[in-house]
Amino acid sequence: MSELRPIFNALMRGKTGALLLIMQVAVTLAIVSNAAFIINDRLTYLHQETGLQDQNLFRFNLYTFGKQVDIRQQQEVDETLLRNIPGVADAVVINQVPLSGSGDSTSFNLKPSPQQSQSERAAFFMADEHLLNTLGVKLEEGRNFTAADVVYSQYYDKNAAVALVTRQFIDGLFPAGDGLGQTMYLGDIPLKIIGIVAPMKGPWLKDEKPDNVVLIPQVEGVAFKRVLVRTEAGRRDEVMQQVASVLLASESERVVSNIKGVDELLATYNSQDKLMSNMLLVLICVLLLVTALGISGLALFNVGRRTRQIGTRRALGAKKSDILRYFLLENSLVSISGMILGSILALAMSDVLMRHYSLPRLDNWFILYSLCGIYLMGMLAVYWPALRAAQIAPSIATRNV
Amino acid sequence: MLNMTNISKVYRSEMVQTHALRDFNLQVNEGEFIAVTGPSGSGKTTFLNIAGMLETYTGGTYELDGINVGKLTDNGRAELRNQKIGFIFQGFNLIPDLNLYENVEVPLRYRGIKTAERKRRIERCLEQVGLGARAKHVPAQLSGGQQQRVAIARALAGEPRFLLADEPTGNLDSLMARQVMELLESINKDGATIIMVTHDPELARRAQRNIQVVDGQICDFKLYQGGAEQQRATAGA
Amino acid sequence: MFIHYIDLAWRSLKRTPIVSLLMLLAIAIGIGITMTSLSVYHMMSVNPMQHKDEQIFAVQLRTMDQDASWWTVDNLPHQLTYQDAMNLRQSPVPFRQTAMLKTGFGVKPDNANIAPFMEVARAADSDFFAMFEVPFAHGGPWDKRIDLQGETVAVIGAEMNRKLFGGGNNVGKDIVLDSVAYRVVGILADWKLEPQIYDLNNGAWGNNEQLFIPFSLLPIEELKSWGNNNGWKYEEQKTYQDKLNSEVVWLQYRVELTDKQMQQDYRDYLAGYIKQQQQLGRFNRDDAQGDIKYISQWLDYREVVSDDNKVLVGLSFMFLAVCLANILSLLLAKFLKRAPEIGVRRALGASKTQVFMQHLVEVGMLGLAGGVLGLAIAQLGLHLLRSGFSRYEQVAQMDLTMWLAAPTISILACLLAGCYPAWKVCRTTPALYLKTQ
Repeated sequence: MSELRPIFNALMRGKTGALLLIMQVAVTLAIVSNAAFIINDRLTYLHQETGLQDQNLFRFNLYTFGKQVDIRQQQEVDETLLRNIPGVADAVVINQVPLSGSGDSTSFNLKPSPQQSQSERAAFFMADEHLLNTLGVKLEEGRNFTAADVVYSQYYDKNAAVALVTRQFIDGLFPAGDGLGQTMYLGDIPLKIIGIVAPMKGPWLKDEKPDNVVLIPQVEGVAFKRVLVRTEAGRRDEVMQQVASVLLASESERVVSNIKGVDELLATYNSQDKLMSNMLLVLICVLLLVTALGISGLALFNVGRRTRQIGTRRALGAKKSDILRYFLLENSLVSISGMILGSILALAMSDVLMRHYSLPRLDNWFILYSLCGIYLMGMLAVYWPALRAAQIAPSIATRNV
Repeated sequence: MLNMTNISKVYRSEMVQTHALRDFNLQVNEGEFIAVTGPSGSGKTTFLNIAGMLETYTGGTYELDGINVGKLTDNGRAELRNQKIGFIFQGFNLIPDLNLYENVEVPLRYRGIKTAERKRRIERCLEQVGLGARAKHVPAQLSGGQQQRVAIARALAGEPRFLLADEPTGNLDSLMARQVMELLESINKDGATIIMVTHDPELARRAQRNIQVVDGQICDFKLYQGGAEQQRATAGA
Repeated sequence: MFIHYIDLAWRSLKRTPIVSLLMLLAIAIGIGITMTSLSVYHMMSVNPMQHKDEQIFAVQLRTMDQDASWWTVDNLPHQLTYQDAMNLRQSPVPFRQTAMLKTGFGVKPDNANIAPFMEVARAADSDFFAMFEVPFAHGGPWDKRIDLQGETVAVIGAEMNRKLFGGGNNVGKDIVLDSVAYRVVGILADWKLEPQIYDLNNGAWGNNEQLFIPFSLLPIEELKSWGNNNGWKYEEQKTYQDKLNSEVVWLQYRVELTDKQMQQDYRDYLAGYIKQQQQLGRFNRDDAQGDIKYISQWLDYREVVSDDNKVLVGLSFMFLAVCLANILSLLLAKFLKRAPEIGVRRALGASKTQVFMQHLVEVGMLGLAGGVLGLAIAQLGLHLLRSGFSRYEQVAQMDLTMWLAAPTISILACLLAGCYPAWKVCRTTPALYLKTQ
């Protein structure tokens, strides 16, 4: 440790350079730790379990403009046609598509409106008895819909009487855990909860409660329909190519549009987050590169400037390893000062980000991870110049330049 | 034309004050060739730097051609230096990545002289020091003596009234030193005033006037009026 | 002299190629990253109608009952109910006004070779076109009379005109939307209004409609909403009329108020309207109120530029600062190493200013080169953005401002970083370096 004093003195002599490097390390640490934290946050979000086989699911719009077409009857025909396409596991006409970023949600209450009561908001999917199978979601408790449960309505003139729900939803509405078999109300319409399904996400992953889902066996006769299809693994593309021609062959006064895989919809919905994490990743990489190059460059300059001094030290008996250690120690001193400053800066930055830009508070572990990473990088960056310094021949001290 | 009265220069560091010059008085007349000698650390170079306005002084007055240097700004000193003074250094101080032509060009650029006039002067000066054919060479391709001749050409290009030389032969062997010395003498004959710092008593004797500096003060004054030829003969014998 | 400085700078940069390259890369990467995020930010934050910024206003009403609240920062829904829209349309105050609905149709072309397709449409009032300065190639908006009576007429976009008719003046022809014939009264010239300030609900970019129909057709043709519908209480909706009578907000409303007086009058009008409706039993809350926001307020309020974008721009500038610190220390080391040469130049008559300028020119050149290379990097970055994220196609672009901004920022940044080293080197005592080398 006796070496620290001369290193410190040398740093004080070239204090602008050292100060700049400290600032650089500090800002680098602040950016890297915050960016890494945001990336981690986004990746956790992007790779969360949806409970749905989004690679096997696809959707399309079916819009009937022919005024003579019997929508109710045609739907029966369409569903049978779709389910008979080879490779299709199941298909339903549905009011909204999971993970697509657009859909409907509503509040379900313990008592019929207008009475005030405990209420819980959920996205609600409406389709016939094929719904659960098409989603590919398992029933955990109770029973599934049967064809007898399904209600076909026009302007909601009739209403279904039963519903399936996710556990997150039922535990929210019935905190005692006794929700199965009970009745809840959509406005003044009673719905008996007949089963609980495995966890699945609704249409919005960014919803406050993305796991709150209610499935209702009801089909509303409208001209504009969304259709959800689940295929056998690996056969989605071939099915997607067929649907339009199969359906239009049956009735041509309509349009099939927006045929898209559910994973594709999800990717579009999440593109901002993917973009953010990619951009930040690039930022971190180039930032580390620039800082490393800065450390290397400055160390090289210092080696050049101190050539004679190093030669003299060597002539006076310093070993190569001593020279190497000198430079590594010097860099450590700068790095550590920068890191102390950088940790404070990182916290301050996180505070600003949290207050003004709706980002979560920085997990302090990320400062520590970034700290270790940057220290290691600094050491690597200075190693080559230090090695060059160690190669300086002692004879340089006596040579006249 | 150069008039120093009671010039003093003090270097202050945290611990000590060093008097590099004290009560330094000197008058130099137009056309003189003065040699400044003295032991190392006596203040020779400080005197030369102050004379060339490279350094400021702590006390006293210094007039160059009737201009009080102490009243000038840094830019004013730079301009005066550029117009009136040529420098020759022991280490030649050529700029390594400029060729000879460009090296000589440097002071002319700062004086804002037009390209054609610059070219005329540079070629004449390089001719004068015998290196006209090597204008495109870089300093590293020349011997020490040749480099010093380029430095002299550079000093001459600005047609200075004053030539300040700091150990101009210090890094040269005796043959080359003699050539450089002869060049300086011929320049002096052409009218330039020369102040040369040297530790070589033989060279010093060839000057018209000899000043010895010890401990920042002038302690000896010798005149070798018309004695140059004589001295050389004695030395050669 | 300037040209001479450039020559000197070039020599100096060449003399230390590795350090020069390091500095160049640092500034180029810094500028590249900064310009990529700044370009996206710049394009996103553009106001497409700056010249009418404080004249076109979005109208909002706090219509919910006392115990209900909205999720917006100011507790105001973004859209209006049908009853409110119809009532506000009676107001004599605004210079122009339009209620709007995003809807859509199945379009069946006459030409049997073109398959029927789905098309987004906008139901609006005839003022829409003048208010948003929509250019016509043929014909014009429908008559004001139709805004009151409802008639199946349409204005179609240039692209739609090409698609359906192969271009040309087709005013007077019919198009079939959902099996209903609409007479074309106007054909637009090529037109883009982005961000789409008249309706930001479903994305701000790439959504300008190609099909416009009178808002007065809503109850007649029972136009479906293709946009957002939000309610704050349970209401039975068994018929289209139920929806028209409901408290569901689903319509956009814009007014053009040309001067301060008119704006104040409209605010007063809204306040009066709320009082009147409260007497009719609606707006059961103490703080029921109306609000109008002009274009840039609206863009800001609807967060067209996302927080992520702002954070990215901030981080990129911090990154640029790191690059500058890097360059600064390299320049410092480089310039000070050259102190002996500067000593000689000073001895030969260079003034401090001249030495300072010589070095600034050098860093300026570095900045220019870095800026140009940075532009290339930014172009690459934007290209990657466009190809990787389709929704960025419209905004991952550089306009002239950004093209000029890149070298400007780069040179300024470099000069900033170069000032200290240049100052430092010009004030070193020349005498120090002359004695020995």
